[in-house]
Amino acid sequence: MNEEERATLVAYLDGELDDEAARAVEARISQDPAVRAELESLERTWDLLDYLPRAEPSPSFTNRTISRITAARQASQHSSQRRRRWLLGAAWAAALVLAVVGGFEAVSLLASHEPTDEELTRDLRVLENRKQYEQIDNVDFLKSLDHPDLFGDDDPDVGG
Amino acid sequence: MAAIGDTSAQLSLRDPDVRLMIAVRDDVPGAFEELVEAYQHRLINVMQHLVGRSGDAEDLAQEVFLRVYRARQKYRARCKFSTWLFTIANNLGLNWIRSRQRKPVVPLPAHDSGPLGPRPAEQLVESRDKPPSSRLQQEELADVVRRALDTLNERQRMAVVLNKFEDMNYAEIAEVMRLTTKAVKSLLNRARANLRTALASYVYTNGDPVPAGEDEDSEE
Repeated sequence: MNEEERATLVAYLDGELDDEAARAVEARISQDPAVRAELESLERTWDLLDYLPRAEPSPSFTNRTISRITAARQASQHSSQRRRRWLLGAAWAAALVLAVVGGFEAVSLLASHEPTDEELTRDLRVLENRKQYEQIDNVDFLKSLDHPDLFGDDDPDVGG
Repeated sequence: MAAIGDTSAQLSLRDPDVRLMIAVRDDVPGAFEELVEAYQHRLINVMQHLVGRSGDAEDLAQEVFLRVYRARQKYRARCKFSTWLFTIANNLGLNWIRSRQRKPVVPLPAHDSGPLGPRPAEQLVESRDKPPSSRLQQEELADVVRRALDTLNERQRMAVVLNKFEDMNYAEIAEVMRLTTKAVKSLLNRARANLRTALASYVYTNGDPVPAGEDEDSEE
């Protein structure tokens, strides 16, 4: 009996053949004693597996399994808490770095601001008198100098 | 076996264990304990026949349950629950065996049952009421069959265990082992032939000739 024929016989024993194929195998079994002997030896061998003892779980198996799952769950929770804390810390650090860098950039931008021509024209008078303005503490003092009693009026007769 | 195209709802109606697994996925209190209780016997039995030692079988079964628990949120009912469970068991068991083969350990004598001592007679439930000589014969025969099973490679052994003890058909075994049904047919054919060779003297007790020319395994 070749490999393919034996595979068909095994498939027959396992109930894997369709009706037509099963009938063909049954016809061969009834006609050929060698095929019948092959079938019986395969069947007897298979039946010997029934002598294998069925494994029984130890009485504490369920409890031990659940304990292991509980431990794994707690470890996973701790790990995710640690991850959450780490992420929060990283977010704060990133925000701080962003604030410092942003502030630095803003200050740099303002400090390095070059006035435009328009701005210079507008502020020309101030710039020309800058040294004088620097002598004066505040604008109110400047306004008080404008009082006519301090420097007399503009009478053309007095000046000759 | 679930037909292709079955919806999750159809499967959960047909397979109560799919409903149980969905309860596990939804963190229903007590559901996981119920699942462990329901499947521990079958899973440990399959693992023990696959790896041969009860302590290792329990450790592996625990690991399977742990993986089921970890994967619960991703669980989608695409096949029978047992098919999914034994797919995880198959991957884990075969990897375990392969890693042990890479790191060989000193084998124990054939008569030694390991650090747990002799196998309890309770494991041979059917033989309890029989006379001691008959029980001894059964234990010896169990040992012989165990060793014959160990002569198979791990894939043949898994296919045999799923077929014999889990009543899985070729299509289900193919799904669990990620093979074609044709490959499963070949695997079981070779396995049966190898078992017959290993158990020849126990099969042919009435003087029948042992068929010659049984060859070694080379599926596909």
